[in-house]
Amino acid sequence: MRHASGPRGGVVAELTPFGFVVGTSLLHRLDARFKILFLIGLSLASINAHFDGLAVLTLVLAGSLFFCRIQWKSAWRELRYFLILLAMVFAARVLSTGGSPAITIWMITISLPGLTTAALVCWRLAFVVLLGLAFVATTRPAEIRAAVQWFLKPVPLVSEKKVATMMGLILRFIPVILNQARETAEAQKARGVENRKNPVYRLAKIGFPVMRRTFERADDLASAMEARCFTENRTNPELSAHWRDWVAMGAVVCLCMALLTL
Amino acid sequence: MNIIEIENLCHRFADGTVGLDGIHLNIRRGSFVVVAGPNGSGKTTLLRHLNGLLLPTEGCVRLAGVSVAQDPARARRLVGMVFQDADSQIVGETVYEDVAFGPQNLRLDHNEIDIRVAQALKTVGLAKIRDQRPHLLSGGEKRRLAIAGILAMQPRVIVFDEPFSSLDYPGVQQVLQNILKLHRCGHTIVVSTHDLEKIIAHANRLILMHRGRVVHDGTPAEVMTEVENFGVRQPCAMRLGQEVASWLS
Ligand SMILES: Nc1ncnc2c1ncn2[C@@H]1O[C@H](COP(=O)(O)OP(=O)(O)OP(=O)(O)O)[C@@H](O)[C@H]1O
Ligand SMILES: [Mg+2]
Repeated sequence: MRHASGPRGGVVAELTPFGFVVGTSLLHRLDARFKILFLIGLSLASINAHFDGLAVLTLVLAGSLFFCRIQWKSAWRELRYFLILLAMVFAARVLSTGGSPAITIWMITISLPGLTTAALVCWRLAFVVLLGLAFVATTRPAEIRAAVQWFLKPVPLVSEKKVATMMGLILRFIPVILNQARETAEAQKARGVENRKNPVYRLAKIGFPVMRRTFERADDLASAMEARCFTENRTNPELSAHWRDWVAMGAVVCLCMALLTL
Repeated sequence: MNIIEIENLCHRFADGTVGLDGIHLNIRRGSFVVVAGPNGSGKTTLLRHLNGLLLPTEGCVRLAGVSVAQDPARARRLVGMVFQDADSQIVGETVYEDVAFGPQNLRLDHNEIDIRVAQALKTVGLAKIRDQRPHLLSGGEKRRLAIAGILAMQPRVIVFDEPFSSLDYPGVQQVLQNILKLHRCGHTIVVSTHDLEKIIAHANRLILMHRGRVVHDGTPAEVMTEVENFGVRQPCAMRLGQEVASWLS
């Protein structure tokens, strides 16, 4: 992957591990609607699963992830914050679960049931996050949008086309806002804003310019879209279910059933 | 045959600022026009009237005989616009999707979209990075991506607003090459700039704007002698009495 050039590239470049990665693996070729169903089904199954079930789920996921060329190095760097969160969840669980003490260090007692439930909870969380990562890495944003639109079509009172457009714009705008905030913060640091101790003053000095610039850019984007004939009635990516989608569906359903009944 | 006809065009903004004041212009099909003027002279405002992003307060803009105000959708199909800020025109999550945005809005079918996108990306030389994320591209590549996005809609007129701003030397050359290629393919080209040096060797008409008015209009050789009176820098070669060379050589 190339490095971003120019001041606006930074944060966007850092977000790339969570983005779509081009490829032709099985996960890439599956229909986005099926993948959303799998995502929901497997997440629910993992909530009910214990160590044996989770091991099976993780093996299946790892097996399919192996083929989709995610940049593990940069994904790892982004995920370290999540790992810190995970460590905190683990600690909280261990300390808040009673039971016969296994180890006592000074005043803190750690019980065996505490350790196992904490490990289980963390494993589940990690599994769901990896599942989401696999989904995002192997599905084009346009396909996700089209799939959501397809699911919303039968829902009354919801304009699925509007929702799809909004999803696209939100995806488009998160990096813009983040970059704007970072640029503004840097520009103000260069002018010594750190000498001001009042956090409210500093927040206001960052917030208003960022908001103003974001609205200006939203305006620019709106005219660029208008200049390219934007309408809600547009050609959407084709979603087509193949035999492999149904086969995968069968496999996932069996897996979930097995986990729920075990 | 005039493709663009502008008659007594005036534009006043909501806050009362006069953006344009009595513009008369006819632009022939297939011509290569440069609109020059200092900051705030009304170049962007004028260009935005060509595809109906702004509508006249007074007067009329006609494209191939039909008023823009009457049918803005048609105007946007006929006139493609590459904006001053390349970043804010990116709407797609990948290079391919960004170029496909326009054709999708025209409700073309998938095959046609594929063909057009492939062609447009090939023309601007970005075919190899069709799955790259647009925000990671260099300034010159972003500008070329914007051009491809317009090309895929197959407009007859292509309008460039300050196409060389914040580009380095190779970036300017790449974008310039693309503009010339499009002109050779028969597109009518309108370019706004305050930096004549980079493009004037290729234009066949120069329009000079100042405070919302057209103050000079003619061949580059005729108008060039006047530009310094209106806040636009004359190319160095001209000051030395030489011919302005192309930036491509
Ligand atoms: N939305 C607006 N509301 C009020 N005044 C505006 C608006 N947009 C532009 N103007 C004013 O209209 C005039 C012409 O602006 P315009 O953007 O067309 O200039 P320009 O020739 O493109 O300049 P530049 O070289 O800086 O791009 C300027 O004086 C500007 O302040
Ligand atoms: Mg301008």
